[in-house]
Amino acid sequence: MLDSFLFILILGPFIAAALCYIVRIPHIRSLVVLTTGCLLAVTSVLLFLNGPFSHTPPPILGVPTHWWVLWADDVLLLTMLYYGFKRRHLFSKILVIFQIVCLDYFELFMVDHDKVFPPFVADNLSLVMVLVISIVGSLICVFAIPYMNKHEAHQKLEKSRQPLFFTFLVVIIGAMNGLVLSNNIIFMYMFFEVTTLGSFMLISHDQTETALRNSVRALWMNCLAGAAFIVAMIWAYITQNTVDAQKLIAAGHMGGIMLTPLALLCFAGMVKAAQLPFQSWLLGAMVAPTPTSALLHSSTMVKAGVYIALRFAPGYAGTFLSQCLTACGAFTFLAASAMAVSQSNGKKVLAYSTIGNLGLIFACAGINTPEAITAAILLIIFHAFSKALLFLCVGDIEQHIGSRDIEVMRGLYARMPRTALIAVLGIVTMMLPPFGVLLSKWMAIEAASKHLFVIVLLAVGSALMVVYWSRWAGVLLSAPYEPRVEPEQQDVLTRLPLLVLAGGAVVLGLCAPFLYSELVVPFLPAPPFTIQAGIFENPTGAFVLYPIILVLALGFVCAVYAAGRARRARFSGPYLSGAQTADTESFEGPMRKPVAVSSGIYCFESIFGEERLTVWFNICGGILLALLIGGAV
Amino acid sequence: MRGVILVIIGVVAAPLLGGLIAGVDRRLTAWFQSRYGPPVWQPFFDVAKLFAKERLLVNTWQVFCAYIYITAAMLSVVLFFLQSDLLLILFVQAVGAIFLVIGAFSTTSPFSQVGANRELIQILTYEPLIVLVFVGIYLATGSFKISEVYSHTSPLLKSLPLLYIVLCYALTIKLRKSPFDFSTSHHAHQELVKGFLTEYSGPYLALVEIGHWYEVVLILGLCSLFWATSWTGIIVLVGLTYLCEILIDNVMARMTWRWMLGSVWTMGLSMSFVNLIWLHGG
Amino acid sequence: MDYLKVFITKSRIKSPWLLHFDCGSCNGCDIEVLACLTPVYDIERFGIINVGNPKHADLFLVTGTVNHRNKKVLANLVAQMPDPKVVVALGSCGLTGGVFREAYNVIGGVDKVVPVDVYVPGCPPKPEAIIDGVVTGLEKFARKKDDRP
Repeated sequence: MLDSFLFILILGPFIAAALCYIVRIPHIRSLVVLTTGCLLAVTSVLLFLNGPFSHTPPPILGVPTHWWVLWADDVLLLTMLYYGFKRRHLFSKILVIFQIVCLDYFELFMVDHDKVFPPFVADNLSLVMVLVISIVGSLICVFAIPYMNKHEAHQKLEKSRQPLFFTFLVVIIGAMNGLVLSNNIIFMYMFFEVTTLGSFMLISHDQTETALRNSVRALWMNCLAGAAFIVAMIWAYITQNTVDAQKLIAAGHMGGIMLTPLALLCFAGMVKAAQLPFQSWLLGAMVAPTPTSALLHSSTMVKAGVYIALRFAPGYAGTFLSQCLTACGAFTFLAASAMAVSQSNGKKVLAYSTIGNLGLIFACAGINTPEAITAAILLIIFHAFSKALLFLCVGDIEQHIGSRDIEVMRGLYARMPRTALIAVLGIVTMMLPPFGVLLSKWMAIEAASKHLFVIVLLAVGSALMVVYWSRWAGVLLSAPYEPRVEPEQQDVLTRLPLLVLAGGAVVLGLCAPFLYSELVVPFLPAPPFTIQAGIFENPTGAFVLYPIILVLALGFVCAVYAAGRARRARFSGPYLSGAQTADTESFEGPMRKPVAVSSGIYCFESIFGEERLTVWFNICGGILLALLIGGAV
Repeated sequence: MRGVILVIIGVVAAPLLGGLIAGVDRRLTAWFQSRYGPPVWQPFFDVAKLFAKERLLVNTWQVFCAYIYITAAMLSVVLFFLQSDLLLILFVQAVGAIFLVIGAFSTTSPFSQVGANRELIQILTYEPLIVLVFVGIYLATGSFKISEVYSHTSPLLKSLPLLYIVLCYALTIKLRKSPFDFSTSHHAHQELVKGFLTEYSGPYLALVEIGHWYEVVLILGLCSLFWATSWTGIIVLVGLTYLCEILIDNVMARMTWRWMLGSVWTMGLSMSFVNLIWLHGG
Repeated sequence: MDYLKVFITKSRIKSPWLLHFDCGSCNGCDIEVLACLTPVYDIERFGIINVGNPKHADLFLVTGTVNHRNKKVLANLVAQMPDPKVVVALGSCGLTGGVFREAYNVIGGVDKVVPVDVYVPGCPPKPEAIIDGVVTGLEKFARKKDDRP
């Protein structure tokens, strides 16, 4: 049973990818992607119901799996090297060659492959990750089918580049599933590299000059992460004589000897998760078609980074490394939130918000109490749904109105009521109670309360977050009254993922106690909260989730009813000092000419401007990161 | 049973008290300006009149947002009376505050748009301060729950003097008193007409007004936590604090939001940090 | 329900919020209007607030003559006031156009454009007269039909 589950979840996407690449018929490709998505989602649920396991897969075609992994690794690295030469980027070439040399020496001359231990182990953290990756990732792939058709129609390409695109889109899902299920860190490393190559290919997909430049940046930064990973792996093997992740974690930091490899692993994770000062690769990834950004940002790729930090969290509990990680994460949270405030580009706001939330997860991993780890895992789940939803909304909006600028989305409710409402819902689930992201943030703040420096960063950061989310939600609704708003036409495959993700974001938030007790508690040594009647409680605080949901839902129903009844009220235009013209959206100016009314959102360029802050934030982030690694050596 | 009574007090008595406080506020302000001033019950007359006015709207989102605002404001006060978690109360209160802003953003009026932007800045300024005050309470009592604050034996003011000043800053901004009344003002004629409340009118303005009373009670309730050991302490502390607020409101001119963000964050964050370090060390 | 109706009528009389519009006045009347707000006359003791926003106003004080340029503004402002509302015309110009009534650009008094409830004569009217006019207008609230069921 397990064999087939693992086969579908890890190798299935690779086979589907090969099919996408070879069979160049659009309908078959769509069918393959759809089937893979459904299959992955169902299998991930079955795997979860099957419970935690440790598993040794049988040899494939008579060859043990670790040889396959080594070959795959070499092929991968050589491909990267090829692109390094093709794009003439010295630094990535050096990094890739370094990795090839280290890896081959390590695999061929150092590792004792006869040691028996299961290369695949799943506990609740892995299973949760598999669920998130397979379900959210598949929905994004489904969304990509109509999206890419329109995208290419818009680009007027002679030859469709979709086969390549879908190949890497599904490959990343398989690689992520592999990464989170691996227990052998050599396997983990291989899958880590697959996501690197995949993101590189997806970012460069449009082949514009910016796309190529940004993809190279993503390549060298992620190769840096890979190099750190491989050094950590070798170092850990020298001290512990094993590549079994469970044993490495159980051994802990061994009085500091193991701290450096752990720090390097965290470093690799932080680069992958685009923490300061490495945020630029993720921001650059915005040039790619929206499904790419959605996939990289919500459920995969960046989540690989936080997964590694969380996976090894028990290993560095109570060390200086842990504290540094908290500081780095919290600082990233603040810095990313501050820079998001200065943006009016919707996708960039989303990107910074992702970086910020990942920072918060790293901070939780660093705090390393059961409470904080709970917050981190719940945040991974809720963030994946809400963020994927928002990205897909922005993608759909961009294809309709031709812009991703928040100012251009002003009054979108009048043009695309459905998408606008779903986007507002997504925004609300990102920042307000009773939804999940806020619940996890509450846990994070309560867990961080003893770390003075961190709590100040978190307090300021979350206030900044409120600013950029709420003004966006407000602007989307900013439309003059019309008795009937005509809903927009949408492809079924566009609407379905949006609705499922929106439903997921809301329903999962409401099921938080269930998620907590079923998914998170088994992973923790001791449950940090007691749950009674939907109330999360422990000595430091209480989150009365269900009563709040009940009252707010009641208020919501009343509000909807009142708003419906208010259609009978008298409608007038806004107050324009009495000078409004008949259409109420302009006023009578000089020479009796109508002047359109306009107003914009405050972006605080002079205070939070991206260009002003990036340098300083990068310096601070770099110092904190140096502290993290230096302190561990 | 006790819980039910507390909920009823929270829902019914809080707005009455809030309205009365608003009336006293106007009366005292008039007294400071050597005027006679309106009767103490004036806010209730205002709200009753607004409820009976014609419904005049720019769009229906305003209605939706006004209702969510009052629900959240009411809920936050009820949670306070039920002695729940401080951070949770802040977050629930934020739901209302943010929906009020979204409602203002949803109208196309430039006055209301600029007001909404400014209200966001006010939220941005006071929210971290309040979180830090709560963290201070946590460090002093070992819990975020209000029930734990009440079982604390010595007044919190003794260990959190600077954080109380920070809370007062946040209070002034939250109540939109001068010098922090950018987004809307209690007195007529600000440069933005009525700021982000410009387009809320009639019954919906009345809802917003009642929601504001709830918030006033909530904020004064938070102040009362600092001397929760005796009733005299609570009354003296809250009375003095509110008197100071009115005085500041009357003697200060409206400044700019840049000044607010800069000065309040510098003062507020450094004071809270110092106070938190005292607690941490001591 | 009767108590509620009585209370609402009382509230309307007790809380008239005021919008003041200078339609083309020489500012004489406006200065007298503002004088009403000063501590000497203190109209806030009647619950009157100068709101400067038609959407919040119950009472509309108009001073000055109406001309072709601002008649639209006048009509717009009245249209943006929610019912029940009272329009008070102030000063000779507001009543009839005053000494300017023959001018080529002047239409005449406020009642040429919008219905007026109370006329307060004078050039300018004294603050006492303005307050008296406002109070007369308030009596109309007691008589005006309640627009909400």
